[in-house]
Amino acid sequence: MARLSIEEVSVDFGGIHALRDVTFELESGSIVGLIGPNGAGKSTLLNCVSGITRPSRGRVRLDEKVLSELPPASVAGCGIGRVFQHPELVADLSVQENLLIACHRSLGYGLVSELLKLPNMWKAERDAARRVEEVLGRLGLSDSAELTIRNLPYGHRKLVDLGRALLMDIRFLLLDEPIAGLNDAEVAKLRDLLLRLREELGLGILVVEHNMPFVSRLCDRLVVLDLGRLIANGAPADVLSAPKVMASYLGEDA
Amino acid sequence: MSAATDMERTQRQATSVGAGALLGLCLAAACAAPFVLNGYGLYVLTLTGVFALVALGLNLLTGYAGQISLCHAAFFGVGAYATAILTQSAGVPYLLSLLVAALFTACVGAVVAVPAMRLKSLYLAIATLGFGVVLQKIIFEWRGLTNGGGGLALSPPVIAGYELRAMGLYYLTLAVVTLGIWGAWNVSRGRTGRALLIIKESEIAAGALGIPAARYKVIAFAISAFYAAVAGGLFAYLVRYIHPENFSVGLSIAFLSMVVIGGLGTIGGSIVGAAFYVIVPELLRGIKDAPGLVFGLLLVVVMVLMPQGLWGLVRRLGRRS
Repeated sequence: MARLSIEEVSVDFGGIHALRDVTFELESGSIVGLIGPNGAGKSTLLNCVSGITRPSRGRVRLDEKVLSELPPASVAGCGIGRVFQHPELVADLSVQENLLIACHRSLGYGLVSELLKLPNMWKAERDAARRVEEVLGRLGLSDSAELTIRNLPYGHRKLVDLGRALLMDIRFLLLDEPIAGLNDAEVAKLRDLLLRLREELGLGILVVEHNMPFVSRLCDRLVVLDLGRLIANGAPADVLSAPKVMASYLGEDA
Repeated sequence: MSAATDMERTQRQATSVGAGALLGLCLAAACAAPFVLNGYGLYVLTLTGVFALVALGLNLLTGYAGQISLCHAAFFGVGAYATAILTQSAGVPYLLSLLVAALFTACVGAVVAVPAMRLKSLYLAIATLGFGVVLQKIIFEWRGLTNGGGGLALSPPVIAGYELRAMGLYYLTLAVVTLGIWGAWNVSRGRTGRALLIIKESEIAAGALGIPAARYKVIAFAISAFYAAVAGGLFAYLVRYIHPENFSVGLSIAFLSMVVIGGLGTIGGSIVGAAFYVIVPELLRGIKDAPGLVFGLLLVVVMVLMPQGLWGLVRRLGRRS
């Protein structure tokens, strides 16, 4: 059972306090929704966890390991997957090839093996291709494996981005607005998929999302940020009915 | 969906079969060329091979990793001088000199990559431009080693007791270019090539996938400098007189043009781009007074009509037939 801890994290951009003393935890197997109005600091927090932004104060830990001192690639190597709001895929490559990019660390062979196509490269590539096939099956994209990203609908692109994270042997998954741009059927499918991932792989999932019905049905717990501060942390029903949260969403006068 | 997939698969298979056939045909023609061409024709074709080698390396850096370099003429020059000095002054066998000089230049390339970790696009272009000028200046000023502005005159290299004249050097270049294509093909389709492509797309996305962008930029610069240096070592013995002025920024721009005209991010584009750049001006020599003008206009026309380069056109034609 792994634990991802955000401990008194603050981020200052010049004079702006994007995050102030934010503390909460996420265990493997739990799904936590990170909500709050625009500019609350949700994306900044995801960036802190994935190593893109370094906290001004406080730290992020995965069990005993301090992540907030590591560069993004090393954080990813520790088992933290990140899916962006807009999938950044290589448009000219196929779905399969895009997924192979995420096998980078597990492939492990060196430049010389690659230049000369040594046997260890073949073996590693075959293993990676097999894992890609598995993930494609899991995502329901087996039929699209050889399509180029250019010819893929937006919803499927988002799935490919999620698939890349799954190929990295992650323990925690950070999702930034996963359902933006998806239709109702795709949203339902994604929710089922995330629940299955939690069930089968024991993933801990931190999801930033504006769609309240989606987060309240998906998440075990909600964390609410407002102007960089954590103002609520608890079960969805309790959090969404808390006066502080309603005020932050509807304005102080409500 | 599955019909579309089948179509793409068939198309891809057809393309790769077509590319294989084209490659075989080109190789056969290249092997037979010395028996048809005169001495000057052979020189032009060898030079095409030399530039194609630079373009292959530069395309990995610019086309795949998205890093612009304006110091490849300097890498080319460092390779040329290092090979010449090792072979001529230190008595190292020519082929070994080529390898050692290329490894040395790859290290120089890795050093140049340090600012690339922080800089992007035009800013990187200007920084590499500076490096190019500095390297050229070092070659010029280090007279004890390079004979400075006097240049270096070279006698034909000897491989296993056989003196490498025009024909020998042509076949050596052909062999090296073939190896270079194979290596570039392998790298571009393997772990490194995929890492470079995602770095070009987004360094943040690369980081999230566990790919350290900084390290891969250094690797891309080093591989690219290696290719340029091997080409430089061949070039030195093709012209048999090298001078610091050979390796100016103008040549760096020419290399970059070859890659863009040929097609960014393609292996075939590197070859076609180099061929276009070397051979077309030769064909235009007949036009009195105006070869430069016509060539310049041709560059404009190619870029306007074929934004994906000449190789993009070859591919489109291949798909249609």
